[in-house]
Amino acid sequence: MAIEKTTAETAYLEAFGAGRAGALAPHRRTAFERFAESGLPHRRLEDWKWTDLRRVLAKPYPPLVERPAPSAEVAGLVARSPFGEIARARLVFADGWYVEDASSMPVSSGVDVTAMTAVQGAAVEVSPREDDPLDQLNIAYASDGAVIRVQEGANTDIPIELIFVTTGAHEATHTLRNVIEVADGASATIIETHIGAEGACVANTVMEIRLGRDARLDRIKLQHDGPSTVHLSNLLVTLGEQAVLNDFTLTAGGEVTRNQGFITFAGEHARANVSGAYLLDGKQHADTRLVVDHAVPNCVSRELFKCVMDDEARGIFQGKVIVRQDAQKTDGKQSSHALLLTENAEFDAKPELEIYADDVVCGHGATSGELDENLVFYLRSRGIPEARAKAMLIAAFAAEAFDSIENEAIRNVFNALAHDWLDESTGHSAHGASE
Amino acid sequence: MLKIENLHVRVEDEEREILRGIDLEVGAGEVHAIMGPNGSGKSTLSYILAGRDGYEITDGSVTYNGEDLLDMEPDERAASGVFLAFQYPIEIPGVATMQFLKVALSSQRKARGEGELSTPDFMRLVRGKAEQLKVNQDMLKRPVNVGFSGGEKKRAEILQMAVLEPSLCVLDETDSGLDIDALRIVADGVNALRSPDRAMVVITHYQRLLEYIVPDHVHVLSRGRIVRSGGKELALELEKDGYAAYEEQAA
Repeated sequence: MAIEKTTAETAYLEAFGAGRAGALAPHRRTAFERFAESGLPHRRLEDWKWTDLRRVLAKPYPPLVERPAPSAEVAGLVARSPFGEIARARLVFADGWYVEDASSMPVSSGVDVTAMTAVQGAAVEVSPREDDPLDQLNIAYASDGAVIRVQEGANTDIPIELIFVTTGAHEATHTLRNVIEVADGASATIIETHIGAEGACVANTVMEIRLGRDARLDRIKLQHDGPSTVHLSNLLVTLGEQAVLNDFTLTAGGEVTRNQGFITFAGEHARANVSGAYLLDGKQHADTRLVVDHAVPNCVSRELFKCVMDDEARGIFQGKVIVRQDAQKTDGKQSSHALLLTENAEFDAKPELEIYADDVVCGHGATSGELDENLVFYLRSRGIPEARAKAMLIAAFAAEAFDSIENEAIRNVFNALAHDWLDESTGHSAHGASE
Repeated sequence: MLKIENLHVRVEDEEREILRGIDLEVGAGEVHAIMGPNGSGKSTLSYILAGRDGYEITDGSVTYNGEDLLDMEPDERAASGVFLAFQYPIEIPGVATMQFLKVALSSQRKARGEGELSTPDFMRLVRGKAEQLKVNQDMLKRPVNVGFSGGEKKRAEILQMAVLEPSLCVLDETDSGLDIDALRIVADGVNALRSPDRAMVVITHYQRLLEYIVPDHVHVLSRGRIVRSGGKELALELEKDGYAAYEEQAA
């Protein structure tokens, strides 16, 4: 029996043809047809039980068919990125479209950067996820995106920043698909910054990442979307032999966030460190679905998430580690830890291990609790006022996830962001230990 | 400096009183030892002085330099010179010892209306004190007490005391878990802080610590009351005869 379409679903279906990114053309119709069949994901799907997109998207957010008129707001939003001093090259996308004037292309040799709209046909390999409605929506409607190729042996440790801003001027879905290829023996640091103004919108951003043999990528994502943004993202990574991925995501903005990560080991002796933090308040909702697929032997994966929830915020972490039958000597660990600053904040964790090999080391852990009053008292007994003591402890809690960021300047940005969050007038640190 | 009168305390939501009428007066420059068996209320007394939540004061008063100590927040007490060396110093992951000391000292100075200490001056101050207590640079960089041995934790505790320069030091079972060498280092650190302006309350189960930190007065705490007071020779007597006689007396 067909379920009645929601107004949001109908709007998507009627907007087919809005997608512009050239490289996606061969896949667009298939993705659209699959989406037409499945509709938006809803709570009866196991992976989506905490984030029912049929409910979240309570009104239509049709994709923009034409590039929106240049907005004076873009420069101001870009200026809010805390990485201005750190990133050498910046690519700015506003409401789903590349903004050349606001961007500065990389000067370093060995790195090619193109906008997805400029790529024709099969010049860029795209790997759709067939059973993933988010991915289908992305392929069907992507208006643009960045294609970054780091050539064999090239080391560009000067960070490249991708800035995705939403001006809030359009009640629409802004869709971008980015492809990052780091060739054999090459390395790169890529910062992904999401900044948004007020005004309801949906942002659907996919990063397709392929790491060659001995390649290394440090990817750092800051999600500081506007308060009425629904942030949807897919991180799709394939690691070649001996490749290293260091991935960090801070979720601090947006009204509803759904971050998906699918990490696949395709070559042996590779390593993936995936970490993240939430700093949520009000009624913010963030759901991370992370699947690490050990398809080959001898790989290492580490996941660490530190989630701070204030007010009535809700955090979710669903981490799955799959170890295929051949993937002997796999070493996989995941942990999620939540700090709830009020009684109304909530955290749900669903750790899963799916192991088919017999010679592996795998583990998971999840904790959730309030600030430890004994710690608060210890700090206060040394003369540190209560609010400051709590702020120090909350910052220290989140900082454990920041420690996975190797670039010190970038790590310091996140420490400063955590302190700013704690200092905000709403006074997150005024909560904390139960009264 | 410190005057405790008829102090009655119970744990919140429990009927039984843990302190049942304590009277104690500690003057500047004096070192008082409080000895007693397990469960006599020694640690409760130290927590009450430091201002820990979870207790109800049902009667009595505590005055510190003429002010009502019980009316002050824990951080206000610290800023006005009260310091508790914890029996079990707490680990604080993610907060480096040096940073912790800096925030603590600057918070106290700010509360007292004193100027901020410059970073070089602060570093010099801490390094000097750390050297005396054999606290190495590595420990200062590590998170507070995380991965420290029992002896390292106690030395770190006394280092905090030395840096913060309180006027009333309460030491709760500072000797527990220490071997004789560590005990000597800690005791030397404490003795270096003895001064005519500073009072100390040393809480201990055993007489051993008092061989190194020689008290002016010794009080026996049993079942929430001070049942006997005397000079330092009282500690030796307790070591020989035990607490049994006092427990009967207090019951």
